[in-house]
Amino acid sequence: MAMKKKRYALVIDSRKCLNCKACVVACKAENKVPVGHFRNRINEERKGEYPTLSINFEPEQCHHCDQPSCVRVCPTGASWQRKDGIVLVNYDECIGCRYCMIACPYDARYFNEEEGVVDKCTFCVQRVDKGEVPACVETCPSKVRVFGDLEDPKSRIRELLATRRYKVKEPQTGNGPQLYYLL
Amino acid sequence: MGTIRMDRRLFLKTAGATAGAVAATQVGCFKYFKKGRSTAADTKEIPTTCELCPNKCSAIAVVEGGFIRKLNPNPENPKSRDMLCARGNAAVMQVYDPDRIKQPMIRVGARGEGKWKPVSWDEAFDYTAKKLAEIKEKYGPEGTLWASTEGFQEKFFMNLGQAFGSPNIVRHPTLCLASVNLAYGTTFGTVPSFDMLNSKYVIMSGANRFESIITPDTMDLIGSVMERKAKLVYLDPRFTVTAAKADEWYPIKPGSDLAFILAMLNVIIAEKRYHKDFVDTYTLGFDQLAEHVKQYTPEWAEKETEIPAKDIIRIAREFADAGTRALYYSGRRSSWYQNDFQMRRAQAILNTIVGNWDQMGGMVPNASLPKGEFLFMPWDDPKASRVDEVKTNFPLAAASDGAYLKLRENVLSGKPYPVKGWMVYKQDPMNALPDQSKTMKMIEQMDFIGVIDLQMSDMAWYADVVLPESAYLERTDPVEVMPGIWPAVVYRQQVVKPIHDTKPNLEIVQGIAKRLGLSDYFDYTIDQWVEAEFKDLPIPMAAEHMKKHGVWAATGEAHYGKTLTPDHRFVTKSGKIEIYSERLQENGYDPLPVYTQIAQPPADRFRLILGRVGYFTHANQSNNVWLHEFMPENDLWINPVPAARLGIKHGDFVNVSSSVGTARIKARVTEEIRPDCVFMLHGFGKKSKMQSLVYNVGASDAVILETAWDKVSGNAAFHETFVKVSNA
Repeated sequence: MAMKKKRYALVIDSRKCLNCKACVVACKAENKVPVGHFRNRINEERKGEYPTLSINFEPEQCHHCDQPSCVRVCPTGASWQRKDGIVLVNYDECIGCRYCMIACPYDARYFNEEEGVVDKCTFCVQRVDKGEVPACVETCPSKVRVFGDLEDPKSRIRELLATRRYKVKEPQTGNGPQLYYLL
Repeated sequence: MGTIRMDRRLFLKTAGATAGAVAATQVGCFKYFKKGRSTAADTKEIPTTCELCPNKCSAIAVVEGGFIRKLNPNPENPKSRDMLCARGNAAVMQVYDPDRIKQPMIRVGARGEGKWKPVSWDEAFDYTAKKLAEIKEKYGPEGTLWASTEGFQEKFFMNLGQAFGSPNIVRHPTLCLASVNLAYGTTFGTVPSFDMLNSKYVIMSGANRFESIITPDTMDLIGSVMERKAKLVYLDPRFTVTAAKADEWYPIKPGSDLAFILAMLNVIIAEKRYHKDFVDTYTLGFDQLAEHVKQYTPEWAEKETEIPAKDIIRIAREFADAGTRALYYSGRRSSWYQNDFQMRRAQAILNTIVGNWDQMGGMVPNASLPKGEFLFMPWDDPKASRVDEVKTNFPLAAASDGAYLKLRENVLSGKPYPVKGWMVYKQDPMNALPDQSKTMKMIEQMDFIGVIDLQMSDMAWYADVVLPESAYLERTDPVEVMPGIWPAVVYRQQVVKPIHDTKPNLEIVQGIAKRLGLSDYFDYTIDQWVEAEFKDLPIPMAAEHMKKHGVWAATGEAHYGKTLTPDHRFVTKSGKIEIYSERLQENGYDPLPVYTQIAQPPADRFRLILGRVGYFTHANQSNNVWLHEFMPENDLWINPVPAARLGIKHGDFVNVSSSVGTARIKARVTEEIRPDCVFMLHGFGKKSKMQSLVYNVGASDAVILETAWDKVSGNAAFHETFVKVSNA
């Protein structure tokens, strides 16, 4: 029997994000991200004048786009995409030219000086391939991120996207980002 | 203010500069880049219990080739709700921190000079025991002070102090939640939990629950509020993350929360919106309350709190309408003002009259679980009474915990008797107590200071001997029952062997005890202790279960209403919930909460207020490299209006001075604070050079905070300090 097609994605309920940084540290440990670099982050938007104020947090990482511009520009094929949509860097083939970092509309990549390669969120493939969820998804106190397979009609993310309003960031790039932000 | 995010243009600018570096680093590409690749064979998963804060969350340590690679949340713990916060995740770096104390050390230079001689454990124990014996000889055992903070092995340290004969065991509650515990305890005879999962209306005074993480309250409340199951009203002089997520935020005038609560009581009683049946059946003193709060009208409270009377009235009505599922959340942070106890009592009374006691979505008395006890040889009670004279000064307070600030006053004055030895476990009085110069004086007058800690805290830096404890991931601890709405029992077991020459606290205690001739009292191993505790757990094959799972919870179900039977006797004098407390009256306190105005800062000064962020709570976390990178330095929040008046610009260094000290710190000019307050985070400006990331970086709040305490509980009052701010 042929393997069923998969398409991994994240649905993010930013309103529940407390900016506690648990996801950032969990990623750091899981993926051995060097100090000073991050594979995920929490954007902050602070507005208003005392006492009419607002703060919004927005977790962000690689959008694992359908048409990833990073893969398109990579001269060596180091940046590549799996059939399940996960965009990866093959560190053996990366020459550290960093075109992909410029091509990414989301600033999702960083340059690892020590290894001379570009690195980024992998959706924790090592966990996902064992049937687990990415570290950022699991550790979150308020469960901001929901990870799942868009091809699975019974998945929680399909349900959320069918019943809630959402947006993607920078849709005009044509990259087809797969981080869905609930409104 | 704009959006803070990584700037791609910044990269483009720096890319040119590092072009040369690219060639050099390409060498790295030929190397096999090991990322998350390992063989399954040498991977182990060991359940344990986090120790980075007192929440006791369950974690599963992933160990690869003898190294801790990662901590994952353990979903079996009903309180930690399948999560691990930033601090919990960063516990890996607590073990592999290059700043850790790696072997016992004895001071050779002057105190605080940082000259240490590494010694063997035998030498360290001999030295400690000799010094303690000398003090005992000269001043009696009461001449020693045993200070510790919350932890599974804290009991061994306290036991050593007691077996030594000292009455002066001082714990953390009077730097933490003593006033909350005493206020709720006085009213209900017990301190309840708050059912945030099911509450429909929550009011919080300053308990910044979305940054100061408490399990399961933080997770339950954010879910409820964001899914519109609950409404959150939040009072705080600062626009915190909790304020940002709340339905309504009021930047209340500091120190006036009690006026807000009393006015709510006034409205709810005047409009007969209280739960009459509950009040009639279970409480004492409602009529006196009704009479007492008549004076506290919403219009009066508006002047005190700066919250419009119409909002107070509306909130009171909404709160009463939510009834048994309305909560005025207690919080568990430290005291703010000298009347803190009465403010917490008023909350407890407000909760009482809407009848939320032991109800789904209300206050719920904690359920517990039985566990076995290891029976050890008992010692005689100390002959001397406590140096802090708790029984005279704070007759209702928990004497066994001590009253830290009063204790410091008495030790400094030498009355009622001299205290010349100070043993410290896992605590940093230099940063945990206000007025660091006083703590320093206390250090100076000690003949001997011994510190047991994981890292070189500021207190350890000024010690005579430092005894390094193994990190929680390197040791096995006693079993801990976590009472609550969802009671659980947790177990902390060794994940890796100690990587340095450190010992678990029990072995340190035993080493000292042996040389003091007290071995008989500590004649057991941690395994024997734990086995005894496993015995009475209501779990089949308890030892096997706890080693395999690390946690056990009775069921996921909460049980409500167990105390709601007419013959239930509350553990109070009258056996009822005491709105009016005779016990308070007998001891010279107000039997009902009376409002007293808090002094407000003069025009040229600000009130210094404190708080936390999600990734730092305790002073010992700011030197953790995985947390430190979120905030390399603390700063002083100041509103733009007074900042402009004082000519202070964002990022300027300023001097912050109180009557007891001055600190130099960067200004953060922000709209997110009242113009009459300034705020700073805790845990920076360290004096210890072995806290290399935060040594002399930023400022310590302890330097400028003045000494004040809540009158009833003796709990340190941290918001009573006025400061001057000027360009440095």
